[in-house]
Amino acid sequence: MTIIEITELFKTYNDSEIQVHAVNGVDLNIEEGEFTAIVGPSGSGKTTLLNMLGGLDQPTSGSIRIDDTDLGKLKSSQLIDFRMKNIGFVFQSYNLIPVLTAKENVEFVMHLQGRPKKEREARTMQLLEAVGLKGRENSRPSKLSGGQQQRVAVARALASKPKFVLADEPTANLDSKSTENLLNIMEELNKQEKITFIFSTHDQRVVNKAHRVITLEDGKIISDNRKK
Amino acid sequence: MITSVAWRNIWRNPLRSGIIITAITIGMFAGVFSATFMKGWMNQRLEAGIETETSHIQIHNPEYRKNYDIRQFIPKGFELAEQIATNPAINGVSPRVTIQSMIASAETGTGVKIMGIIPEKEKQVTSLSEYVTEGDYFESISRNPIVIGKKLSEKLKIRSKSKVVITLQDTDGNLTGGAFRVCGIFDTANSMYEETNVFVRYQDLARLGMLPEGVAHEIIVHLHDQDDLLPTTLALREQQSDLEVLNWKELTPELGYLNEIGNLYTYIFVIIILLSLGFGIVNTMLMVVMERVKEIGMLMAIGMGKLRVFLMLMFETILLTLTGGTIGIMLGLGASLALQQNGINLSNWAQGLEDFGYSAIVYPVVEVEMVVVIFILVILTGILASLYPARKALKYNPADAIRTE
Amino acid sequence: MRTNLKIAWRNLWRNKRRTLITVASIFFGVLLSAYMTSMQEGSYEKMVDMVVKYYSGAMQVHHENYWESKSINDTFEESQDLNQLILANEEVDFVIPRLESFALASSEELTKGVMVVGTVPEPENRLTSLKNNVRQGSYLSDNDQGLLIGEGLADYLRLGINDTLVMISQGYHGISAAGKYPIRGIIKHASPELNKMIVYMELSNCQEFFSADNRLTSLVVNIKDNDLLQKSLRKLRDELNSPYTIMSWQEMSPEMVQQIESDRAGGIIMKAVLYIVIGFGILGTIMMMIAERRREFGVMIAIGMQRYKLATILFYETLFIGMIGALSGLLVSIPLLSFQSQNPIPLTGQAALVMEDYGFEPYMFFSTEPSVFWHQAVTVFLITLVIALYPIFSANRMKLINALHA
Repeated sequence: MTIIEITELFKTYNDSEIQVHAVNGVDLNIEEGEFTAIVGPSGSGKTTLLNMLGGLDQPTSGSIRIDDTDLGKLKSSQLIDFRMKNIGFVFQSYNLIPVLTAKENVEFVMHLQGRPKKEREARTMQLLEAVGLKGRENSRPSKLSGGQQQRVAVARALASKPKFVLADEPTANLDSKSTENLLNIMEELNKQEKITFIFSTHDQRVVNKAHRVITLEDGKIISDNRKK
Repeated sequence: MITSVAWRNIWRNPLRSGIIITAITIGMFAGVFSATFMKGWMNQRLEAGIETETSHIQIHNPEYRKNYDIRQFIPKGFELAEQIATNPAINGVSPRVTIQSMIASAETGTGVKIMGIIPEKEKQVTSLSEYVTEGDYFESISRNPIVIGKKLSEKLKIRSKSKVVITLQDTDGNLTGGAFRVCGIFDTANSMYEETNVFVRYQDLARLGMLPEGVAHEIIVHLHDQDDLLPTTLALREQQSDLEVLNWKELTPELGYLNEIGNLYTYIFVIIILLSLGFGIVNTMLMVVMERVKEIGMLMAIGMGKLRVFLMLMFETILLTLTGGTIGIMLGLGASLALQQNGINLSNWAQGLEDFGYSAIVYPVVEVEMVVVIFILVILTGILASLYPARKALKYNPADAIRTE
Repeated sequence: MRTNLKIAWRNLWRNKRRTLITVASIFFGVLLSAYMTSMQEGSYEKMVDMVVKYYSGAMQVHHENYWESKSINDTFEESQDLNQLILANEEVDFVIPRLESFALASSEELTKGVMVVGTVPEPENRLTSLKNNVRQGSYLSDNDQGLLIGEGLADYLRLGINDTLVMISQGYHGISAAGKYPIRGIIKHASPELNKMIVYMELSNCQEFFSADNRLTSLVVNIKDNDLLQKSLRKLRDELNSPYTIMSWQEMSPEMVQQIESDRAGGIIMKAVLYIVIGFGILGTIMMMIAERRREFGVMIAIGMQRYKLATILFYETLFIGMIGALSGLLVSIPLLSFQSQNPIPLTGQAALVMEDYGFEPYMFFSTEPSVFWHQAVTVFLITLVIALYPIFSANRMKLINALHA
């Protein structure tokens, strides 16, 4: 089932006389349960594409439909609401709120959604265990290693059962062991929870793990390979 | 060059620097303006007090001021006045007979100090004659003229040409009195003075009080130049060793005192403002230092000694503080100078102030010494505020600093 | 809301030093302002006391022309009806009938102008505690033929207890007033000025002297609680008709009211400058706190926190800083000033002389009226509210993408 439908997407910056087409005509469909990597060199437009996918930026023209909702038609506060209910984020760094413990961080979005305490706690502990951090739930981010912090981020991203998770270079700051660990966990969760994962990455290890690889160059898709 | 680097560093974060500079500006503007305001106010009171009321030096019989007894006069008062007038530093001498007694109109009566004067001589020692607003100063009425204050005329409900009765005890101890006609009413903006001081002609009062010829209760001396006050006082004291010689500072100590106190209050106010600003400056510089951990580490690594790093940061702090301080002081001076022409009108509160001798319009006075002191205080604040953050910077290990991510 | 409060509180302590320095600046400001206000209000209270207690009383009833003329001719007849009317009001405590005027007083050799106050000894004492001020001799009894005179006056005229004082003046309707009276007691009046010229007589004795039979210049009205003054004044004004009129102490001594108001105004300006300067310091801190966390804010909004919630957290942070500062300032200033008010600072030297010249005891007095303190709290609260506008504004206007890549 298609959950994301991107049609004729353009994003153009007018930067003092020079026009930059960051995203230069992209058509793309993403199905439920995918584990997809979007790759491309710096300046290929993948960050811009991902920003628009996450409702963090507006296209110059074209549309992004997520499950029949056209993101372009949503107002700013509606977008925030939409993200809260439907999208999970894992950033390269600074994912977590430093003053909250791991547990509180994971609970955060569910809290915003107004879910009852019992439900929040149950889901939180389940996910923390799934990412292998049972026992560290009361630690603040400063007390966790880079890899552990990213795992908490993944747990949080999944906590509210979003339609899909956007991961922007999640492994960029990690050593190889942590990277492997994180990727395995994410693949596991993708299978178990059937939640779509979309990566934007430079990292070959992520590409290797991905089930579908979309390559961008100069704002256009130049290849789209399904592996499994 | 160092200045230029420090200056550019301040503006690396224009918003943050802007805020603290604005705070300092406001604080110093307030400080300087209140200083000039206070000074102007005090000065006026002083001027008014001296020029219209006490004059510079007064000479009395040593027993006189204990009880204001009519019999404690200076025996050859008139002669003495002539003698003293020859002193070149002195520009006017006025002998008076002065009695504390009672004045009454048809309406009511009250106690006053009655001064019997020679009008031409009195004009040389006080400027009171210039403040006569109704009638004149001993010109029109020939028989028993009297000049009274505006507040008194309101109290007694009389006007120019009205009749009043003076009752007093003469040198024989008899109660006597005389009718006087108001020839002039003065308005000096010191209601208290207006209510309790009246002037008549020397000869009229001497006659009434049965005083011997040529005596005086008070000899009032006015100088060309205020600076001669102390030397002239001392000289007169020596010459007239059997008489009491006092200058205005000794006669009305509260005037001199208020003057000095005014200055002190201003400095305290400025210091308090600077202390409060100090907190903000310290916080700002702490942030600056923390942001530049890598840079400072690098400087130390390439060979800038700890002392130089310390001085550099101290200099930046001083420069930051001085920028705000200078603008604030300039604005304060500007405002003071602008208002010097027309003064600041306090007439809403005029009534209460006039009662104590303060005028309702204040002309700010700029004193160089004050501005210099405030400048120095600003610099001191910069120096003190820099100590803590600069010390923190020195604790950085260059190697750690460079590695910070 | 609890979560927002929790996050806000924890955020404060991320940079302990910075928060503490900011809090310290507020603490300093509150302490200083409270101290200064307390000193000012303390001296005003004393000044008002002087006027009300030792002289005019809370209100006075006069003949409608009396205040302008201060003439003995503008007196009114004492009447029980009037007294009943006034005493019927529940706020009124008691009244004192008085006849005051000017006279010349002489001993054998010397004469001085004096103020004569004819009054009823017992109620007079209730208001002014005159009896306590008797230094030699004794207080006036009912129907006493004797006088109480001020120490300064006694010294000048060189008179002592049982000596005779001769007085002459102008009485009611121009009748000459003359009389000889023994000195019953010598008092030390609170005001050094009055001390040199005041004479107290028993009322009927005084009325006889001035040929003003049964007449009064004023009826002093005392109330149970000074806070009820305005209310009482209004009621009595309605009830009293011509030729009577009633005035409050403020109307009788407007210069004093103005002096106090202008001094208060000066103080307010100084405190305003102080708080503004401190306010900027707080603003600077808040700005730094926000600038540092741009990235974090971006993440929060990205994952679905509405901007207004972020603004709320920042608002709470600002408020917390203000509250901690104000509370700590008050916690120290309240006991400190309570102590000070019990132990006023004695003034020496020139300062003391000036105070005494104007009729005040040479001490620095402190007030512990609640307003001294809660004014500071309210000011800090208002300042932090205004400052909090910045983070709210910032949260709403922040560009999401820029923040995420900060």
